[in-house]
Amino acid sequence: MTIALKVPQVASSDNWLVDVIKQVNHSAISENQIATRTSQNSLCVLCKGSRNLCGKTRCPIMVKVNSFLKSVPLMSSEDIAGVSPPSVFIGRIGYPHVYVGPLVPPVHEDTSLYDLPEQWFGKSIDEIVGFRSLLVRGKHRVHVQEFAQAGKIMDQTRELALADTSVDMELNLTKKPRGSIFLSDDVQPFGPSAPIRDLHVGNARFDHRVEKAYYDTDLKSAQAVVDLYNRGVMVTKIQKAFSVGAFGIEKKRRLVPTRWSITAVDDMISKSLVEQVKTFPEVNEYRVYESIYLDNVFEILMIPAQWSYESMEAWYPGTVWNPNGNSVAIYSDWEGHNGRTTYAQIGGCYYSARLAVCEQLVKERRQATVIVLREARPGYIMPIGVWQVRENVRNAMRQKPYQFKNLTESLKFISGRFEIPLSQWIIQGKLLRNALFQKRISDFFSVSTAA
Amino acid sequence: MFKLKVTDAKLLRDMATAISILVDEATFKIEPDGLKLRAMDPSRVAMIDFEWPKTIFEEYVCNEPTKMCINISELLKLLKRASKDEAVELSLDDKTGRLQVKITGKYSRDFTMPTLEASEEEVPTPKIAFNVKAKTTTQGLSQAIEDAQLVSDHVRIEADPEKLVLNAAGDLMGATITLQKGNDALLELEAKEGSKATFSLSYLAEIIKAASATSDIATLEFSTDMPIRIDFQQQKEGKLTFFLAPRIETD
Repeated sequence: MTIALKVPQVASSDNWLVDVIKQVNHSAISENQIATRTSQNSLCVLCKGSRNLCGKTRCPIMVKVNSFLKSVPLMSSEDIAGVSPPSVFIGRIGYPHVYVGPLVPPVHEDTSLYDLPEQWFGKSIDEIVGFRSLLVRGKHRVHVQEFAQAGKIMDQTRELALADTSVDMELNLTKKPRGSIFLSDDVQPFGPSAPIRDLHVGNARFDHRVEKAYYDTDLKSAQAVVDLYNRGVMVTKIQKAFSVGAFGIEKKRRLVPTRWSITAVDDMISKSLVEQVKTFPEVNEYRVYESIYLDNVFEILMIPAQWSYESMEAWYPGTVWNPNGNSVAIYSDWEGHNGRTTYAQIGGCYYSARLAVCEQLVKERRQATVIVLREARPGYIMPIGVWQVRENVRNAMRQKPYQFKNLTESLKFISGRFEIPLSQWIIQGKLLRNALFQKRISDFFSVSTAA
Repeated sequence: MFKLKVTDAKLLRDMATAISILVDEATFKIEPDGLKLRAMDPSRVAMIDFEWPKTIFEEYVCNEPTKMCINISELLKLLKRASKDEAVELSLDDKTGRLQVKITGKYSRDFTMPTLEASEEEVPTPKIAFNVKAKTTTQGLSQAIEDAQLVSDHVRIEADPEKLVLNAAGDLMGATITLQKGNDALLELEAKEGSKATFSLSYLAEIIKAASATSDIATLEFSTDMPIRIDFQQQKEGKLTFFLAPRIETD
């Protein structure tokens, strides 16, 4: 494997990361297997991974370097043989001409865990980065709508995406896989990659439910996704198949970049769950669910009222999406009873949290106004994907909720759990303000002086 | 046995539109002297109070008081098929429990739709002593609300004996809309004492937009931090009134 050191104008002596890597594994640098890229305005140069100047509790770059260096010796060849979890990746850069290819670790054992976020809850960042950086990514450019004629590499990649269990395979690359460590820290952990020359996929076993939807070329993709979910196929399996254009009316099938496919599937499933939720009676009391994982604190408030949903997240200065700020940044997005038509500003987590809360409401056959509050603290050192939100909220839903008689008491409880003062949440929260300030007509039925 | 007929489909369609703003499943009270509906929206923030005496209809037959619950947006879909001067006849089949919608004009159409289980809930009227009463043109009121919507999602309505003021404050922008005594849009204003209350603009806008098809004159009544009552004067007899609960912001 190559971890490419992209140091265009900077002399290599200025690149502290090179020094750090050399101390640990000299050959990785000399063989040009690791790339580092310095960002201009980064504190990292001053800190060199030792002083946590960015405000995080640990240096995300060092976490990546460590796991990269462990995987380097396993990948110093153009041919990678291993067991794919199965896993594929569809890039979004250059859309509609995107990079498609399998992810294969040079490991010969059951690797299904490497691409199964449903099983990741509770694992540490090091573990997750550890096995993610073992995944070698093959790259092959394909037009998203012309994948059916794109040839063997595409066909086998699609087959892999539909497989139910780990698959033996061999990946022949045009050069040794190269990985990049960016000195900016907002890039998701990822293994090294290289263009594909050829690949051989062993026998794969298919999930018959997914296979049926794949061969049904008259079934619309949204319907296919919802049907599979209702039949118990895991959300991340559906996302994988969706990304390789396995569903939908034949002519309209296309590749969907992995990132988009995850949110598209979260959205489609939760929309269908919302329609069910809206027919159920309201919850009887104010509830607060909570879950803490990887320094992400979730407090989820359910209000006895008709279905509506708000998701808010607060980022401490120095956390992933608020690297340079001096104050806490709070973002919010919401939808009323009739849903929304535009993409939520806060992104994919809006939809994966919506999925998780709807699952619980459907299970209980109840509806509620749900407000998801998330406080991301400095220990959340690097983005690891929206699965963290989905699984974290699912975990909250598995717990017994704290119950309250009124809104004031439940908010008091939440403010005791958060470090960010309640008043800041209220300024940003549309549904939260509504719940606090909007009176009901029924409040005025009895006493004429009521306020 | 219940049956009614109107010669102009528009009348019925506008009525159904106004109701559909707040309620999905509408339980009508059918009484010998007319048709009534009083219901809150599912979030219980707004309420509609609607009455049509039998004199409005070309034909109205009701032998005994009964209740009928229908999905109002489904009915609206059918009514939208009728053009302006076509006649509409609604009749309830006691045996099957289905509502028959007959549209006659250039040709005749018979639709049937199911009725739903009637709600048993009796909705009272809020008891409020109103200090302000303002009569406006529906169009003027609608414009003022649209102005306020540009900057915020809620509006403070204030009145003193001389004027009615709508105040909207958004995150960045603000708006003050003044209806002075003597303005064309403001027909009458009585204020026993200065009063102000804040309301959701999305509710106000939808209510006024839907009701404006049925009415040219709207009467607002409110008091400080109490619900507002908006009565839309109907062209024929009949009553269409909305109540909307206030927002009360406290720290």
